[in-house]
Amino acid sequence: MARLVLHRLAATIPVLLLVTAGVFALLHLTPGDPIDAMMAESADAAAKASLRTELGLDRPLPVQYLAWMGRLLRGDLGRSIRNGEPVVENVSRRIRPSLQLALLAMTLSLLIAFPVGIVSAVRRNTSFDRAGTTFALFGICMPNFLLALLLIFLFGVTLRWLPISGYVDPAEELVDGLRSLALPAVTLGLALAAVVTRTLRSSMLEALTEDYVRTARAKGLSEWRVMRGHVLRNALIPVVTVLGLQLGTLIGGAVITEYVFALPGVGRLVVDAVFARDYPLVQGVVLLIAVGFIASNLVVDLLYGLIDPRLRR
Amino acid sequence: MASSTRASVADRRWTVLRRAARTRLAPFGAAVLLVAVVAALAAPLVAPHDPLRQNLGDALARPGRAHWLGTDNVGRDVLSRVIWGTRVSLVAGFISVAIAALAGGLLGVVAGYVGGRVDGLVMRLMDAVLSFPPLVLALALGAVLGAGLTGVLIALGVVYTPTFARLMRGQVLAVKARDYVDAARALGASGWRIACRHVLPNAATPIVVQASLSVAFAILAEASLSFLGLGIQPPAASWGSMINAGRGYLQQAPWIVFGPGAALFVTVVGLNFVGDAVRDALDPRARS
Repeated sequence: MARLVLHRLAATIPVLLLVTAGVFALLHLTPGDPIDAMMAESADAAAKASLRTELGLDRPLPVQYLAWMGRLLRGDLGRSIRNGEPVVENVSRRIRPSLQLALLAMTLSLLIAFPVGIVSAVRRNTSFDRAGTTFALFGICMPNFLLALLLIFLFGVTLRWLPISGYVDPAEELVDGLRSLALPAVTLGLALAAVVTRTLRSSMLEALTEDYVRTARAKGLSEWRVMRGHVLRNALIPVVTVLGLQLGTLIGGAVITEYVFALPGVGRLVVDAVFARDYPLVQGVVLLIAVGFIASNLVVDLLYGLIDPRLRR
Repeated sequence: MASSTRASVADRRWTVLRRAARTRLAPFGAAVLLVAVVAALAAPLVAPHDPLRQNLGDALARPGRAHWLGTDNVGRDVLSRVIWGTRVSLVAGFISVAIAALAGGLLGVVAGYVGGRVDGLVMRLMDAVLSFPPLVLALALGAVLGAGLTGVLIALGVVYTPTFARLMRGQVLAVKARDYVDAARALGASGWRIACRHVLPNAATPIVVQASLSVAFAILAEASLSFLGLGIQPPAASWGSMINAGRGYLQQAPWIVFGPGAALFVTVVGLNFVGDAVRDALDPRARS
C-alpha cells in the first residue's frame, strides 16, 4: 500500500507543475493588454503602471513565472485587485458553505443511488427498474441550472416551503441552515445520484452473472450474504471510479448552484471574479480548486487499494 | 475490383445504420436531432416572429395563439427565440466536439505513434488539463478569451481534447502492434503513410463513438456558460442566456424559463439516444 501511495504521489508532481504553468498562462492568454482588461479604460496611466509592477507584468515571462512559483511555495497566491485581500483569505471565508453543500449533496446522492441502483439490478426489467433507469436518464440530461429553477418554482414560489436564496450556517442555526441548503443540495445531489445509480445498476448486473456468485449460492449462503459479500463488494469498484470522475462535475455544478441560489461559496467567488476581471483572484481560486481536485482524485485512487486488494501489489 | 470495394464499404455503412436504427430509443433521438437541425437551418423561415423585435405592450404575454410559448419581459416571442437559439446550441455542440476530436485525435496519434518522451509529455499535458474541473476550466478560459461564441467554442474544445487524445493514443498503441502495420513497414512504407493509411482509419471508430456521446454534453456546457453570461451576448438568443434572463420573472412568467429549458432538455435526451445508438452500432462490446 505504501508503494502505491508513493507511486501515485510521484506521478502527481509533473501534473502539478503543468497545472501551475497553465494557471500562470491564463493571465497571458488575454487578448491585448491584461491590465487594460482588468482596469477601466479611463483609469489613469499611473494606476495602470502601478498594477503592472505589482503583478510583475513588466518583467520577462520566465522571471514572472519563477517569481510567481516562489510566492506560491510560500503560500502567497496573490491578492484580489477588487478588495485588495489575499486570495487565501477570500477563499477561506467562502469555503464553509461550499463544503457543507458538497457534503449534503454527496450524502443525498448516495442515499438515493444505493437503494435505487441495487433494487433496479436485483429486480431487473420490472417497473421499479424502468422507473430507476428513467430517473437516471433524467438526472444525467437535466442541466443543474434548469433543475434549480424548477425546484425554486415548485418549492419556493408555488408551495413556499423552502427559501429560494440566501445562506444560513447550519452550525449556528441548524434548522434554518438545513432549509437554506435543501434546494441547492437536491439540485447538486440528483445529478450525481443519477450517474451513480446507472453505474451501480450495470456493475451489479455484471457481478450477478459471475461464477463466484453462482458458487456462493451453491454453497448455500443466504441471498443477503451473497449480495453484501460478493455482488456489492465487487460492484463498488466502478462506483468509486465514477465518484472520482464526478468530482469535477460536482465542483462545476456547485459553481452554477451557488450562483443560482446566491450562496456565498467558492463557486460564486469564481463567477464574481470572472465578471470583475479580477485575474489574480481567478488564477488563485482556479489553482486551489485544481489542487483540491487532484488531491481528491489521489484519495479515490488510494481507495481502490482498500476495496480491491489486487491493486495494492 | 474498385467497384466491389466500394460496394463492400457501402454495405458496411448500411449495416451500421441498420444496427443503429434497431436500438430501441434511436428513432426518437434521430427525430429530435432532425427537428433541431431543420429548426437551426430554417430558423428565418420557421420562426413566427423576429426574435429580436421588442414590443413592450405585449411583454410577459401568456402562451396563446399569437405567441405559442408566450413573450418575455420586453415582448419578444419566446418560441422564435427558442428556434434561433437552436442554431447556437447545435453550432456549439458540434463545432466544439469537432475541435476536440481533431486536436485530441492528432495529439493521441502523435503520442501513441512516436512514443517515448513525446508520448510522456503529451499525456502529462492532457493529465494537467483533466486536473481542472471542466466547467471551472471553461469559465477561466472564457474569462480570458472574452464572452462570445468563439471563446466558448475554444474553451469547450480545450476541455474535451484530453478525452479524445487518451482514447486515440490507446487505439494507436493497439493498432501499431498489428501484423498489417509490420507488413506495411516491411514493404518500405514511410511512418507518415503508415499512420495515415493504416493506423488512423483503424483507430477512428472509438473517436466517432465518443464524439457522438460528447455532443449532448457540449450543448449542456454551452448552455451553462451562456447561463452564467459568458456565451453569446444579448440580444442574440441562446437557450442558456434566455433561461438566465427569465429567472427574474419565474413567478409572473415561468414560460420564459421553461420554453428554452424544455428545448434544451429534449435535445440533450435525443442526442444521448443517438449517441447510445452509434455506440451500440459501432462498438461490438457494447452490442454484446
